[in-house]
Amino acid sequence: MKMNNYLYSLLSIVVIMVMGCEKDNYEEPTSMLTGRVVYQGEPLGLRSGGVQLELWQHGYELFSKIPVHVDQDGSFSARLFDGDYKLVLLRGNGPWADNTDSLDVHIKGSANVDVPVDPYFVITNHAFQRNGDQITATVSIQQVNTSRSLERVRLYLGQTMIVDQNNSASTGEVLAADVTDLSQPITLTANIPASLASKGYLFARIGVKANGVAEYVYSHPEQVAL
Amino acid sequence: MNAMKRIYQLAILGVLALTFTSCTKEWLERTPKNIILEEQVWNDPKQITGLLANYYDRLPKDMGLNDPDHTSIDVNQERQAQWRRMADYDDAMWSGSTNEDARNNIVNYPFDRWRIWNYSLVRDINLALENIETYGVSLSAEQKAQFSAELRFLRAYNYFELVKRMGGVPLITTQLNYDYNGDPSYLQTPRAKEAEVYDFIASEVDAIKDQLGNDGSQTRANKYTALALKSRAMLYAGSLAKYNNAMGGPITTPGGEVGIPADRANGYFELSLAASQEIINSGAYALYQNNANLGENFYEAVTTKAGNTEVIFAQDFLAPKKRHGFAYDNIPRSIREDNLSSSNIAPSLNLVERYEYLDGSSGELNIRTADGSDFIYYDELTDVFDNKDARLYGTVIYPGASFKGVTLGMQAGVKVWDASSNSYRTVEGADLGATWGGDNYADGDGGLLTYAGGPHRSIMEVTNTGFYLRKYVDSGAGTSTRGIGSDVWWVWFRLGEIYLNATEAALELGRDADAAGYLSTLRERAGFGENSVTAATITMERVRNERRVELAFEDHRVWDLKRWRIAHEVWNGNSNSPDAVVYALYPYRVVRPGDAARDGKYVFVKMVAPRFRAPRFFQMGNYYSSIDQSVINNNPKIVRNPFH
Repeated sequence: MKMNNYLYSLLSIVVIMVMGCEKDNYEEPTSMLTGRVVYQGEPLGLRSGGVQLELWQHGYELFSKIPVHVDQDGSFSARLFDGDYKLVLLRGNGPWADNTDSLDVHIKGSANVDVPVDPYFVITNHAFQRNGDQITATVSIQQVNTSRSLERVRLYLGQTMIVDQNNSASTGEVLAADVTDLSQPITLTANIPASLASKGYLFARIGVKANGVAEYVYSHPEQVAL
Repeated sequence: MNAMKRIYQLAILGVLALTFTSCTKEWLERTPKNIILEEQVWNDPKQITGLLANYYDRLPKDMGLNDPDHTSIDVNQERQAQWRRMADYDDAMWSGSTNEDARNNIVNYPFDRWRIWNYSLVRDINLALENIETYGVSLSAEQKAQFSAELRFLRAYNYFELVKRMGGVPLITTQLNYDYNGDPSYLQTPRAKEAEVYDFIASEVDAIKDQLGNDGSQTRANKYTALALKSRAMLYAGSLAKYNNAMGGPITTPGGEVGIPADRANGYFELSLAASQEIINSGAYALYQNNANLGENFYEAVTTKAGNTEVIFAQDFLAPKKRHGFAYDNIPRSIREDNLSSSNIAPSLNLVERYEYLDGSSGELNIRTADGSDFIYYDELTDVFDNKDARLYGTVIYPGASFKGVTLGMQAGVKVWDASSNSYRTVEGADLGATWGGDNYADGDGGLLTYAGGPHRSIMEVTNTGFYLRKYVDSGAGTSTRGIGSDVWWVWFRLGEIYLNATEAALELGRDADAAGYLSTLRERAGFGENSVTAATITMERVRNERRVELAFEDHRVWDLKRWRIAHEVWNGNSNSPDAVVYALYPYRVVRPGDAARDGKYVFVKMVAPRFRAPRFFQMGNYYSSIDQSVINNNPKIVRNPFH
């Protein structure tokens, strides 16, 4: 009796395995969409994992967005089926003005699109320098879309390339009230944390925030030797 | 064989009898035995009450004491209450099974986190309201009015839960039926404005409050329950109107589904204050003051049912059938009565330090000397908590405090003085209840190394922060076993909150002296002197802190931070933030022979809780939860919330 049970369960497992081998599924998507979020052809620096674009595809029963996360260097990629998609900026999500126009994306094999945005601010120039146990940054920023005012400029220091509002070991900031003239460079300082001082290098990055928008626009992270 | 024959004969006889008797009645018009008809339900107060119980049970909440849905929202997007969510904010962390360590590693709150779309309940209530009118012929007019009022209270309460999570939602007050004409668009109702939903709640409460009956009930809605709902909802609406528009970029939608005009703030605050005053001045409730030990008194004010004059509305649990496992899951490790679980919700040092000292000074614990060069040495574990707000004792179990008559002498390890390096060496036990001595620690003195109830950095089901939860944990014998369980109730509304609502509304309206009066009354119960807050010293900061300490673990903090529009600043996702990270306090015994002022004393170390991983991160898109895409697909008139 016991043996019989054992045989039956073995048999059912075999049956399930054999049946499971049948091709009953879709092929996985193979086409690649890549692109960048740009202003005047230059990619914008963003928070790692912070900003999302959305892809929509009409014509199928399941109508649901495909979220596309933008990397901190402004690039993104998604693996998709061939077809026609609409690429949309998520409202209020990035450090740029809302734009409800969608971008048509046709994918066959692969596609590369640059998504133009209208940022509130861009960082035109930045430099980092070590002064004793502090890092001093000099930044030039330019306002592009004037519908929102400047809230603050921040300097972030971190141990790795990924350094932003959520990942930093030390920060310094200048509030908008202390910035009288946007055409002049802004100077920020931040203390070098002891944990990084011993490593001989750190990564520094600038973030600029407009009032009422959660995300900052960032410079490229830069390695600073100590 | 004889017996078989007998049964056979009887059966034939029975069949014959049935055939004859049934012929006398009309064969096709019998009442079914397996279906309850509308006429039966709506004419029987007992069955209506049974239905009401079901609707009460389905009211949404974020926390609660039971665990109806372990994973997420159900198919009807209905209830999602879980006591486990107490560990998801900054008042506590998860110290239970490592299976749920994700609660300590919420990288960001998902946009659908607080989502509900429970129109299944709204429809059931609308249906009940209509059917009681249609079928309820033998009910008295008074009974009908009372049941209808109760149903409308439940609907208003549910709309409050919807609007605080989703913003303005479609206001459906009748049942919707499809007529199969091929065009469902007449059933597609767009979202109402956020303000319209709050106005609906206020007008419903005004319409029903005098018909509710249920005088003195703490588990069914009466007049004061409805007023308590109004007090809370109007306060939310007022602060949304005020603080949303004070943001750099107010969160709004063009149609007003999200965003209340700023000029409506004072009107809402007036309504809230009036409702609170009506409850306070009615004399129907009183702050619970039955125990001379103020800490125990505060614990009893929430947890004890007998003689509780403070609780206005609660979800009750009754022995022996309806019980929950909250005590099983949250009893301190060293006194657990079952062989598993315990210690899941570990209150944070963040919360503990928000409790002021009785002289009114801010609540940071004194654990280092003024210049930071050395520890402060305490004779007893509890000394560091001396002269604190009594609500601290009533809410958390801190090192040296007692529960169920047992003192919990929390100790993480020993600090051994090393004269050669002029510093302390920290030794912590690998096991709970370890002794500093024996084979493992040859240089030990044989005294206690790590207390049986921790704290411990890595062992699960023992506190990771140095604190245990007291509020809502049953102190009855055996209640922390799975076999017996706890019947402590979950408090929706109590007079303490009404005092705080009155305080906040009065302060927003510039009536500082009134506000200070309400707040001082509440604080007296916690051990503060008379008029501990005056018109000169009351600030919004202080009122917000009072809400945090008085109402901790009662499902208020996340909603409060949302309506004040500071959640994204408090939980900013930054690992250097003092609020977004959960801190722990570990007590150590000092071993320093020859130094009588220090040897054998206790010192405390503040640290980021070792099992805590990702700082709390609340994004702008969390202020209003995302609406499920299937809802929008079914009803294209629904507009999405901002940032989604």
